[in-house]
Amino acid sequence: MTAIEREQSQEKREVTSPVDLRTEIFVQFLLFTIGLIISFPIILAILTSFKVPEDIVNYPPTLLPRQQETVVVPGYEDPLRLVTVTLEDGTQRELAQISREGGQLQLVDPANPEETLSASPSAAVPVQRIHFTLENYITAWTAQPFGRYFLNSVIQTGIIVAFQLLFSILAAYAFAVLRFPGRNLMFYLILGSLMVPFQLTFIPNFVFVSNLGLANTYAGLTLPFLASAFGVFLLRQFFMGIPRELYEAAMLDGANSWTYLWRIMVPLSRGAISAFTIFAFLSAWSQYLWPLVITNEVDMRTIQIGVRFFLFDQERGADWGGIMAGAVIALVPTLLIFLVAQRQLVRGIAMTGLKG
Amino acid sequence: MTDSASQTQLKTKRQPAVEQTVATRSTRRGAFMRAIEGYLYIAPTLIVLMAFVFIPIVSAFRLSLNRAAPFGSGTRFVGLENYQRLLDNMFNLGGISNALIPILVVLGVGVGLAGIASVRRKEPILSYRGYYQGLIGLSVLILIWAVTDGALLTSLIFTVGTVIPGIALSVVLAIALSIPVRYFSWSHRLLIFVPIVISSAVTGVLFRWIYHPVVGYINYMLTFVGIDGPNWLSDADWALIAVMGAVVWRQLGFNVIIALAGLQNINSTFYEAAKVDGANFWDRVRHVTIPLLSPTLFFLFIINTINSLQVFGEIDTLTQGGPGQATRTLLYDIYFLAFRGTPQRGIASAESFLLFVLIVLLSIIQFRVANRRVHYQ
Repeated sequence: MTAIEREQSQEKREVTSPVDLRTEIFVQFLLFTIGLIISFPIILAILTSFKVPEDIVNYPPTLLPRQQETVVVPGYEDPLRLVTVTLEDGTQRELAQISREGGQLQLVDPANPEETLSASPSAAVPVQRIHFTLENYITAWTAQPFGRYFLNSVIQTGIIVAFQLLFSILAAYAFAVLRFPGRNLMFYLILGSLMVPFQLTFIPNFVFVSNLGLANTYAGLTLPFLASAFGVFLLRQFFMGIPRELYEAAMLDGANSWTYLWRIMVPLSRGAISAFTIFAFLSAWSQYLWPLVITNEVDMRTIQIGVRFFLFDQERGADWGGIMAGAVIALVPTLLIFLVAQRQLVRGIAMTGLKG
Repeated sequence: MTDSASQTQLKTKRQPAVEQTVATRSTRRGAFMRAIEGYLYIAPTLIVLMAFVFIPIVSAFRLSLNRAAPFGSGTRFVGLENYQRLLDNMFNLGGISNALIPILVVLGVGVGLAGIASVRRKEPILSYRGYYQGLIGLSVLILIWAVTDGALLTSLIFTVGTVIPGIALSVVLAIALSIPVRYFSWSHRLLIFVPIVISSAVTGVLFRWIYHPVVGYINYMLTFVGIDGPNWLSDADWALIAVMGAVVWRQLGFNVIIALAGLQNINSTFYEAAKVDGANFWDRVRHVTIPLLSPTLFFLFIINTINSLQVFGEIDTLTQGGPGQATRTLLYDIYFLAFRGTPQRGIASAESFLLFVLIVLLSIIQFRVANRRVHYQ
């Protein structure tokens, strides 16, 4: 934002009527509620991933991870469940549950192991405390090769982002600065590729890449995405904003177009390049259809596909804690990017109208 | 700023020299070298796009003219038979007769209302041109609805059911977000925008948990208003709606960002003028915001329609096209035919071609319709 723009936006803020305190509180409350509702699925997944299995299927569901409090009572081998019992005279006591027989709970006072009594289950409420467990992450990491999935995703995303960046910078530079016959035609050809939906090309691409013997390889995972028409477009727009006189001057000073690109254009375009890097990262990390069809070996799955198969794995079908842990592992990198670069991301979307 | 100023100075000083170099460089040999140089720079992008976008269009068409031969590998040429079969599956021309009565009702009631209005206002009955166009448009929609069948119908419902609520919701949110507040304005945005970074697979997993029939939060919340929630994902009546919900959620952040940018481009003097004229909040939204936001809305319509036709991850993780075929959209059908069971890549390619044509057609129709209705400032 230039100084002038900042001044203008301040002016605008003054023009739009300043809100009074009541409106402020109402709007704050409204927006915060909406925000919580919208981000609720993510918050819920993160909290669920720290829950112990018994807690996950508890009804009614609770938000914060809890665990049954247990107590070791002398004379009993296993730790006993702690419950709060409302006695007949109305007083409440914390007692340890020994067993459940004939619809009655057998209870013992942990402070006084001699004293046992029985109560009806409806009078007893389990004592729970908030407890975050890492159990689900350990299951996700060990029951399925989630470490390997994560690594695959990192490699796949790394290759795609690096090549898209390099190739887009080169092409955008040629379209923005160099003059050669057929330049506009080639640019429209590249832009035109944005119109071709992926679902038209993925079957022939699958046949082609499999025939090359590249199914289940990193090359196969990444080849179709090494170039980005969006990147060429975005960076060209930015490069065109750099005054041409700079190019002429550099040429006079003995630079060639290669050194001019890397010494002057790229450093000047750091903002646009990093914005494109974020977009490229997000879309590569989130890829689904292509990794699903091009890999059939467990060891080559990306994290997205790993989560999918973890979900459908019939043996573990009900292990929601593990599934949520897997989902959280898959979303943490993108969430971090969002937290670090949200302003840039939002501005990029608002400016280009594209999501990569 | 200071940089570019000094560069301009630099330029004016060296002007003659620049012209000279340009002159020497434009010799034929220089032009040839520059062409080579330019193409070397764009070659990597061009080669990748050739190999994985342009050539596959041709291969997809070639694939679509063949069918897997029975008993054994290899394919045989069947010409346009795949397309024939697809069109038979996608359109049910018998549906025309079902559409006749609703269309007649719409036209009859519509023209009747116009007649009453014209008598009351003493205007010629034919003067409501836009209104009649609307009636005809509605009839055409009913007709399309009645004759489409199978995956095409599912895609149609899915698209309408994600695009319209998605945009409506995002406009409401954008208006709410554009109310100036003193504190925390960025943290609200953070919470509302965050789904943009969530992948389709993860969205599917998150919503499978939200939609859980027993311990899912949606059904839990519904018990507070006394509703016994359905088993969202395995009930054929609700599965498509459930998937739509997840997709609207994932695309919401993007839509709100675009809508908000559109709102901020509206010159505040329009609001001032409306206020002076005594317009209240709703009047201003209806008569200032929505008309002036229409270019943005038009853009969102196109982008969302195209995105909705390409949704795959959520369908795969939530319902896998089921129960039955309740959520099998065109793209899921293509994937299913090409990669599940016996691969039928011929017919799948034919379907992907039809989907491509549909996307192009929709863009053209939307563009033409919106061109007439959109207000630019």
